[in-house]
Amino acid sequence: MAKAATGRSHRIRHSPELDLLPIMNLFCVIIPFLLLSASFLEISIIEMSPTEGISAGAGTTSLAQSEEQQLQPKIILTNEEMFLGTVFGTRSISRVFLENRDGEMVNSYDYEVLSDALGDFRGELDAAFPTIPVHKITILTVDDVRYDNIVMTIDVCAIHGFDQPGLQVAAYSVLQRQILAGAGGVSP
Amino acid sequence: MSAPTKRHVPLTLGYKKNKASVRGKDKKVTLNLTSMIDMFTILVVFLLKSYSAEGQIVTLSDALTLPESRSDQKIELNLEIIVTNDAIIVDGEPIVFVDESVLGEGNPIPVLVERLSDHLEYTRQMRGTIDEAEMKVNIQGDVATRAILLQRVMSSCAQAGYATQNLTVIKVEGGEEQ
Repeated sequence: MAKAATGRSHRIRHSPELDLLPIMNLFCVIIPFLLLSASFLEISIIEMSPTEGISAGAGTTSLAQSEEQQLQPKIILTNEEMFLGTVFGTRSISRVFLENRDGEMVNSYDYEVLSDALGDFRGELDAAFPTIPVHKITILTVDDVRYDNIVMTIDVCAIHGFDQPGLQVAAYSVLQRQILAGAGGVSP
Repeated sequence: MSAPTKRHVPLTLGYKKNKASVRGKDKKVTLNLTSMIDMFTILVVFLLKSYSAEGQIVTLSDALTLPESRSDQKIELNLEIIVTNDAIIVDGEPIVFVDESVLGEGNPIPVLVERLSDHLEYTRQMRGTIDEAEMKVNIQGDVATRAILLQRVMSSCAQAGYATQNLTVIKVEGGEEQ
């Protein structure tokens, strides 16, 4: 039996095929190039600010010092404890504890407590001396504090706007004098 | 030597195809590249994200492990000082070998000061003048370096005339753009 005429043309519809080979070729060129020029390790720097030596009369500030210098805090790292010395006084932040870093047990400090303390100090500073911008901070350590502990301390300071760190190293006895001299401080 | 005829060509896809087409069972074999294109697109996007047009301007020493930091300050091309627990290396040349005498004091290291002063003087002579940008050093220190050694290197730099000392660190996520 003959098929009834429908009046429609019976053209075979071919779905258009996209030629992906040129795209593949392009990718094959781009990917090795990008792999070669990709940097998976990003390097940055911390700019240190120059520091002055520790004066014999620790804790006292000379009139010649700028207001910012007088207000700049100090973080004191010893082998037993971490202290925060500010214009309002010096106080203990955390005791040293042992931490496993790359399979090695090393001294570490509680940086979260330091962050809280610096945040509080920044608030007090802004309230008491709103016109004086304080960005400098001194990291005062004993001889054998590890470099990574110093860098971690600098990182925490930068979070609270103390982004011009300086490094001073002194004997433990000198640091003890600093801590005792700064224990008084002034009221905010 | 004449070219091999089709019959001498080893059995390849083309040969098989010809044989099949003779039999009238021609099936066009197409490779579905869509999934591969998808994968390549993801790969290209990831690589473009980590693409560095500036290139690596610092050579990291195998002898040390740099500390990690959230600092996002871009590194500049300066004089490199590498500080490990064994030696202090300036511009690839070992200057001081670290021993107890080096770790025992807190003053600048004379040999290092002399080497750095020479370098600064050489730069001054070569360029005729010296500006602030040339009075910078990058210090690469190992994570286990003791504070006294770092401080001695920094004070040596300051005494030699390098007023700005940058500590080279590995950037970790969470930093603020500077």
